[in-house]
Amino acid sequence: MGWEEKQVRGYPEFVQTAQRFHGRPIFALFCGDKDAEGRSWCPDCVTAEPIVRKELHNMPDESVFIYCLVGDRAYWKDPNNEFRKNLKLTGVPTLLKYGTPQKLVEEECFKAELVRMLFTED
Amino acid sequence: QEAAKYDKKVMVLDFVRPTPLGNSWGLGGTCVNVGCIPKKLMHQAALLGQALQDSRKFGWQFDEEVKHNWMTMTESVQNYIGSLNWGYRVALREKKVTYENAYGEFVGPHTVKATNKRGIEKLYTAERFLIATGERPRYLGIPGDKEYCISSDDLFSLPYCPGKTLVVGASYVALECAGFLAGLGLDVTVMVRSILLRGFDQDIANKIGEYMEEHGISFIREFVPIKVEQIEEGTPGRLKVTAKSTKGDQIIEGEYNTVLLAIGRDACTRNIGLDKVGVKINEKTGKIPVNDEEQTNVPYIYAIGDILQDKLELTPVAIQAGRLLVQRLYAGATRKCDYVNVPTTVFTPLEYGACGYSEEAAVEKFGEENIEVYHSHFWPLEWTVPSRDNNKCYAKIICNIQDNERVIGFHVLGPNAGEITQGFAAAMKCGLTKGQLDNTIGIHPVCAEV
Repeated sequence: MGWEEKQVRGYPEFVQTAQRFHGRPIFALFCGDKDAEGRSWCPDCVTAEPIVRKELHNMPDESVFIYCLVGDRAYWKDPNNEFRKNLKLTGVPTLLKYGTPQKLVEEECFKAELVRMLFTED
Repeated sequence: QEAAKYDKKVMVLDFVRPTPLGNSWGLGGTCVNVGCIPKKLMHQAALLGQALQDSRKFGWQFDEEVKHNWMTMTESVQNYIGSLNWGYRVALREKKVTYENAYGEFVGPHTVKATNKRGIEKLYTAERFLIATGERPRYLGIPGDKEYCISSDDLFSLPYCPGKTLVVGASYVALECAGFLAGLGLDVTVMVRSILLRGFDQDIANKIGEYMEEHGISFIREFVPIKVEQIEEGTPGRLKVTAKSTKGDQIIEGEYNTVLLAIGRDACTRNIGLDKVGVKINEKTGKIPVNDEEQTNVPYIYAIGDILQDKLELTPVAIQAGRLLVQRLYAGATRKCDYVNVPTTVFTPLEYGACGYSEEAAVEKFGEENIEVYHSHFWPLEWTVPSRDNNKCYAKIICNIQDNERVIGFHVLGPNAGEITQGFAAAMKCGLTKGQLDNTIGIHPVCAEV
């Protein structure tokens, strides 16, 4: 069946989508919001996105890839935002395998090898 | 990782043979997965239970009865361990160390065969090899042991609360596990064949045993199990244990939900093809003798950690030995691993930190007339208000009279023993004498000032 992508924005939408696909491997990439021209306020996210996308074909069959925009810069900087509080995210971009402690944070997302390892790890 | 720093091409073969009950774990070895890390976390869980009780005396008011949920604790602990396993995978990748989750064994000179969990075999050759395969829990060899008993390999990820538990053994593993299980509110009995904490200062070992007994842990002394049968299946089930006295023919029976075996660990050196490359091992214990540079009798094969003969079985020792070995091989260093005055801590309910000689070992080595023992009981300030045991904590130092009263043994029994001991270990490495200790002003009010 291959894999499918879901694009969401904000915490409630993320949780709802993740719960919908409970039982299937779920990978999520969290990035800062994009402006009208499609550029994110987060420069590292701009770098990481194409690298991650190139490795998506390594995800196991039936996987769901959730591309999640977290919000604007002010929201992200707030230490009490829901992503920090509930998902324990510490930075953007973050690429993680939902429901496991496996994740890559910031510059780790620039390394194709690590991204591939996350997608194919048992 | 150290070798990769010096641009060597490095591969790690790590594989866990599942326990008799089917349990396995990720990268990191015993300490991370089924040893120090989960042990300390569960010990902390038990201490927090005690703290909650104490807190009422300090003015905290809460009506509800406080209960413990095994699954919540275990899930948190396993989650943390999972993040460590993942962290190691990332670290190895970043340092360009090749990692294979495969069972390694020698098949000929400079050659190993790696078999993964699907049975696929690959051959690798290398200039040098480092064996660090560690140990696994020993089973009793009695009917029902592998089918119904668990070991420390299973305990920290047990998917159900163990309930009424019989711990067989008197090692630090046995006592630490018995300690935190009781601290979490479970009914715990410890079955001991002879003495507690063999190899440790016996004066302190007995105090630890007494403390545990006074705090609700039953001890059955001088008995060994001879049979384990299942009365009822379940999570946990019900087991019947039959035991025989070591001093006669007396037989006793008991019923428990879980039987935890902690009678010793055996080196994983028997099935890795050491005979094919001529590495000598101690046939009786399975341990590998090495020279003071961690080299086996085969010059290109080295070994570190718990599998070494006559060396301390501690994670930091293995790590230090490994790092220094690589620095000697590839960075021109000459420093060898110093196995003397290595500090340790036993995380029983009353923690015990030690560095150097036990009283018995000091007497044997230097003679009773040449050593002086200074000791004291103390009552931690934090225990006064909740009226907790007022003469259980204890500290002693053993000095060599002939060498300027040099401190050759340090022992402390009380809360945070590990933290206290670390500093004194550094002082002992510098040659601490009783005189210097006397001249050091204490911090007040802390336990360590004694």
